[in-house]
Amino acid sequence: MISLRKIAIALALLTAICAHATTELLAPGFRPVPNDAHALVGATVFVKPGQIISNATVVLRAGKIEKVGANIAVPPDARVWNLKGMNIYAGFIDPYLTFSATGSPDSGSKKDRNDLTAGVKFFGVPGAERDPGNPGPGSELPAITPERRMAKTFAPEAKSLESLRELGFTTANVVPEKNIIRGTSVFVALGETDPNRAIIRSDVMQNVGFEEGFKEDTYPESLMGVVAAVRQTFFDAQHALVAPNENPREFNPALEALAPAVKKQMRVAFEPRSALMVDRAARVAREIGLDFCIVSSGQEWRRPDLAKAAAVPFIVPLNFPEVPKLPDDDDWTQVSLDQLRAWDWAPENPALLRKQNLEVALTTFGLEDKKAFRKNLKLALQRGLTESDALAALTTVPAKLCGLDKEVGTIETGKLANLTIVNGKGYFEPESKVQSVWIDGRFYRTDFEEPKPESKDDHTASSGEKKEEATKPSPAPPKVVEPEKQPAPEPTEAEKVAAKKPKKSAEAKAETSDKDKAKDKKAEPPKPRVARSPLDGRGALTAPTLVIITNATIWTCGSQGILTNASIAISNDKIQGVNSPVTFHGKATFIDGTGLHVTPGLIDCHSHSMILGDVNEGTIPSTAMVRIGDVVNSETANIYEQLGGGLTACNLLHGSANPIGGQNCVIKLRDGASPEGLKFAAAPQGIKFALGENVKQSNWGEKYKTRFPQTRMGVETFIANRFIAAQRYLKEWEHYEALATADYPRSNKPLQLPSAPRRDLELEAIGEILQGKRLIHCHSYRQDEILMLLRLMQGFGVQIATFQHVLEGYKIAEEIAAGKVGGSTFADWWAYKFEVYDAIPYNGSLMHDRGVVVSFNSDSSDLARHLNLEAAKAVKYGGTSEVEALKFVTLNPAKQLRIDKYVGSLEPGKDADFVIWNKNPLDSSSLCLQTWIDGKKYFDRDQSKARFAALETERQALIEKAKKSGKADSAKDSSAEAKKKFFEVSLEHRYDGKIRHCEEDEQ
Amino acid sequence: MFSVLFCALIFSALAVSADQLLLRNAIVHTVSGATLNPGDVLIENGKIKEVSTHITTEGKSIDLKGQHLYPGMIALDTSIGLTELAGVRATQDEREVGDFVPDVKSWVAVNPDSELLPVTRANGVTHVAPAPQGSIVAGQSGLIVLDGWTSEQMAYKKPIALHVYWPNMELDLTPKDKVRDKSKWKSPEDQAKERTNKLKALDDFFQDARAYILARDVAKTNASVDPGRNPSWEAMRPYVRAELPIFVHADDSRAIKAAVKWAETNKFKIVIAGGRDSWMTADLLAKKNIPVIWEHTYQQPAHDYESYDSHYAAPGILHKAGVNVIFSLGGSTFIASLIKNLPYEAAQAVAFGLPEDEAIKGITLYPAQVSGVADKLGSIEPGKDATLFACDGNGILDLRANVHHVWIAGKEMSLESRHTRLYNKYKNRP
Repeated sequence: MISLRKIAIALALLTAICAHATTELLAPGFRPVPNDAHALVGATVFVKPGQIISNATVVLRAGKIEKVGANIAVPPDARVWNLKGMNIYAGFIDPYLTFSATGSPDSGSKKDRNDLTAGVKFFGVPGAERDPGNPGPGSELPAITPERRMAKTFAPEAKSLESLRELGFTTANVVPEKNIIRGTSVFVALGETDPNRAIIRSDVMQNVGFEEGFKEDTYPESLMGVVAAVRQTFFDAQHALVAPNENPREFNPALEALAPAVKKQMRVAFEPRSALMVDRAARVAREIGLDFCIVSSGQEWRRPDLAKAAAVPFIVPLNFPEVPKLPDDDDWTQVSLDQLRAWDWAPENPALLRKQNLEVALTTFGLEDKKAFRKNLKLALQRGLTESDALAALTTVPAKLCGLDKEVGTIETGKLANLTIVNGKGYFEPESKVQSVWIDGRFYRTDFEEPKPESKDDHTASSGEKKEEATKPSPAPPKVVEPEKQPAPEPTEAEKVAAKKPKKSAEAKAETSDKDKAKDKKAEPPKPRVARSPLDGRGALTAPTLVIITNATIWTCGSQGILTNASIAISNDKIQGVNSPVTFHGKATFIDGTGLHVTPGLIDCHSHSMILGDVNEGTIPSTAMVRIGDVVNSETANIYEQLGGGLTACNLLHGSANPIGGQNCVIKLRDGASPEGLKFAAAPQGIKFALGENVKQSNWGEKYKTRFPQTRMGVETFIANRFIAAQRYLKEWEHYEALATADYPRSNKPLQLPSAPRRDLELEAIGEILQGKRLIHCHSYRQDEILMLLRLMQGFGVQIATFQHVLEGYKIAEEIAAGKVGGSTFADWWAYKFEVYDAIPYNGSLMHDRGVVVSFNSDSSDLARHLNLEAAKAVKYGGTSEVEALKFVTLNPAKQLRIDKYVGSLEPGKDADFVIWNKNPLDSSSLCLQTWIDGKKYFDRDQSKARFAALETERQALIEKAKKSGKADSAKDSSAEAKKKFFEVSLEHRYDGKIRHCEEDEQ
Repeated sequence: MFSVLFCALIFSALAVSADQLLLRNAIVHTVSGATLNPGDVLIENGKIKEVSTHITTEGKSIDLKGQHLYPGMIALDTSIGLTELAGVRATQDEREVGDFVPDVKSWVAVNPDSELLPVTRANGVTHVAPAPQGSIVAGQSGLIVLDGWTSEQMAYKKPIALHVYWPNMELDLTPKDKVRDKSKWKSPEDQAKERTNKLKALDDFFQDARAYILARDVAKTNASVDPGRNPSWEAMRPYVRAELPIFVHADDSRAIKAAVKWAETNKFKIVIAGGRDSWMTADLLAKKNIPVIWEHTYQQPAHDYESYDSHYAAPGILHKAGVNVIFSLGGSTFIASLIKNLPYEAAQAVAFGLPEDEAIKGITLYPAQVSGVADKLGSIEPGKDATLFACDGNGILDLRANVHHVWIAGKEMSLESRHTRLYNKYKNRP
């Protein structure tokens, strides 16, 4: 390793011309260092985006830019470089270079830790020792390593720096990879392999990546867990600032490292890794009060609105997918429309971000094969990115992002002498070559080959066939001669052949090889985008101000019962009246309801259908700090599919892997709205609890036998423990707030108020339960466990909102009714595991008969498409009346979620959420015709045909385009990596078509 | 021992012969013919003797005024009987190890006292076909009647089909860096090769079976060439000779097309089970006269370019093209306890375009036909088993309807189950 490094340094000295202020005198044997004054004359100089000087002179001295302009005298001591026909740009900056990209292994991550399923002290869970296997102090979560400094480990290989220089890059912000809070980046010059000299500034940015599944069975494993861990850690860092003398005292380098970030002295780069998480990253960053930027996932085209709302600069990789070859033509059936769209949209994403008025910086991040950078940049330009924006994205924007805009980014006096020199038509023409770069006033030759005067075909001269020859490192220090005067080397065999090619007869051309075809393609004008926006055709279909449905059978689910031949009037987003005279001015939309049935929108009290990433953060027994609201998936196909079954609202719950699960989120199915736009703003907050087999890991496999709790006894012990901890937590805050807000007499005022207690997101959430601000929805099966929680919570003065599933609820219906707890059950699921052997389809009716507010839920993305038919089962089993049965999926879940003031029945003043059916919705052959939310129509069966026909047309066009371009790509030297990327499934659609339920991902 | 059995046989024969029962005034869904409203059905010796608008008899009769009378429903491709609680491993008997185990037989492992059976029967399902799950050639299924003291008595017809789980033709296109275990990642090209090899292996197995059977036949006259009795190859006999159907489990359109071609080449009799994408190849299946056991009613669309209702509408599309659609909930052990809901799968298809009489056939006559028992089950016709049920409401496709009587071979079944026992117990909790 050391010897390699020595060689690298020596090589750098040999191949570079040093130009330091007072030139160093090296020992004999080394090449002597030349003067540090240079004059670059005759080139077109791009001073900064939008400012171009032709035939200009740039004077460099002592590693800085001394002068730039059209009529500048060449200093007598400067070496003159004639760059006629060249273009000079400010040296390009990669703001998000990863270590592995520079060829050095990323050694920053901590040692693997032992199994942490028994809990982490961080969350107050009894169990494992702190930091098992972690060699030093820091966060107890292995994925939280803000103290990691890239400045400490930067040790690039000459080869990888060369490849970056070839692309014109002169400096880069080297960022840590992997982990969640990853550490600080370092800003380096890409000339030197000696890290001490290369580093321009250390600790430029802190880095956060929303990386799920970081380590199996280790918190945080789910996406929502990641968000919670990020929030808690930053809050801790803030706390550490105000309360440095905590008892017990703590030395925590992780929190210390975050201090500059929370003080807004260091920018934080967030890598959200999906279109939707852009929004979450921005919200979390704003909540903490960070100065931040966002690393594009390349997917912002899905929701440009969210990117726009983030309103911070984006660092944009150019790793676009390419069309791969599929073994069989029929295999195209398994390529999704979304994959095709992602491929077709990718090159347009940079331009699209600019259109949102966002500052954009480009990076080679994500490109294993860096050579694709310029090819992809060209694609981005063809799709609307302007050259001026692109130049800014390579120079001024990244300079500003890294806080180095005084040092780099433009060709202005006083800045570092970092230049990128390109021949021909300039950088944005892929055929043009980067002739050389200057870094800190030193010249670095790239593999640039002077065009041979005898060859007239530019194409041939710059074709890849000579690469082997060209990349040979020159053993001697480069001779610098004026380009025009350089003698042409003897052409190689390959060149000779290539040079002959254009002279081939027309006959020979007729049998053109694929390669030639590909070349012809290159010349073709860029193909326009075929893919539509995923937002096309979504959103409200109509939003009339007044709707009147007449002559319908109306299931009010309110005091009016079922009305036949009735009318209902909807004014804007509310129900104006049912069977009452309607007053209106202006136009009204009339719907003839003859033969039709109108019901309230269906409500699902137990859903996981619109959750981004894992449903469970099952790593530790209490994850009360985790919030479903952070990961609402507004893009999943489930929304439209469930609208098609009359569903208008649902309760998104955390899974059932732990006794105290995450916080829930009630949403309305306003298809097309953003994650925040889906949220049911008036719904009270809640949380998922779970009991029984799942939480004691009965069916997780032999490996899972150590986490507390392993029995139903332990579940009770555990929950009681957390509630007592939360009581103490609340008391601590009360005490503090009393002291902080007390009206002290002047004389008695304490010198220093105590600092605020540490904010603990887990105990805060449980505390809110104790304060009556958060509803418990508890997954449960057996009667004993149901009674256990009921009594335990009564002991804490807590009213449980619902028991979910509650399949043995019928055995203790009186107790549940007396406790005023809702029962949200399955209609007839049973016998799929031991604890549901006693489940009976009469459960709903029986509990209902005994006075429990009963709902039927789905816990499945499929069942949620036909909850009306689930309700019908209450009629069949136990003889619940039809009026009451429909309430199982309308008014009753609304009551259970405490949103019955707004939804659940068709009564004046309530939200206009309703469904139009072709017949009695409890009839198994009924059809949902229309679904309305807030007085807007979101589903119409008649219009859905056209919607899917349009998708089919789009897909066919995309396949055709893909097949064509796949043939062309296969001829080009395209990367296997880009082809694999084609098959990536976006996070937003990962679970489409799959039944999501609460046991998902547990095992 | 022998004499006891003999006496029992005589006794039961006498008891049945004395039995005549008239079901009066029902809406008789004969399935094979017109619906009689009202109609009478006369049962004698466990068989249907007469079906008519009006029958007079001296014997016992039941007035079924307002009730619908249907032939017992038949659920093919299920794991009921072979499983009790999907989450409890000790109760699983539906899946064997090995890619080529044609001599595995489902009917020998049916638990007659499974709590799942009475629940299923109480809603009018009288016959089920537990199927061995597995990969490639997984074994044979028999038709089980939901009445009997022993598994032997319950084996109504054995075997009815061989189960071939068509090799997966879907490629796993997950990029390598997204795969947890990178060592298991395979390129699409390698997967395509593997796919071809698996199909060849499947075909080879059938060709080897054919060769064995030929050799055995020749050996009848020339013992010197006898390869010796091999139970695996023996099990293949009726399928290679197309005397019995092969249920090919295939969901992906590529698999379905490949299976159809394979069957055509070899002149095998096949039925597509699962059939998720079968509606995409409806015309092909109709042309080759291949029925589909449709198991995806209550599953979301498989591709993002399908309409939200593609799986609701699929049976209607298949029927329109000329394919007979049989409904099933599939072989998952998690669904075994819900086979009682078979008619609602069909009802959903009715809402989305399948004619109602076709939906009824899809749960009665069509499954009887592919099981080779249409001479005894599947419709209400003289000569067939008096296996019937009566329900109220708008008929069995209506979820709200309750089944009031179930007869199997003329014998009225108890509708009691674990569900009703627990219901009655806790309904009366003081």
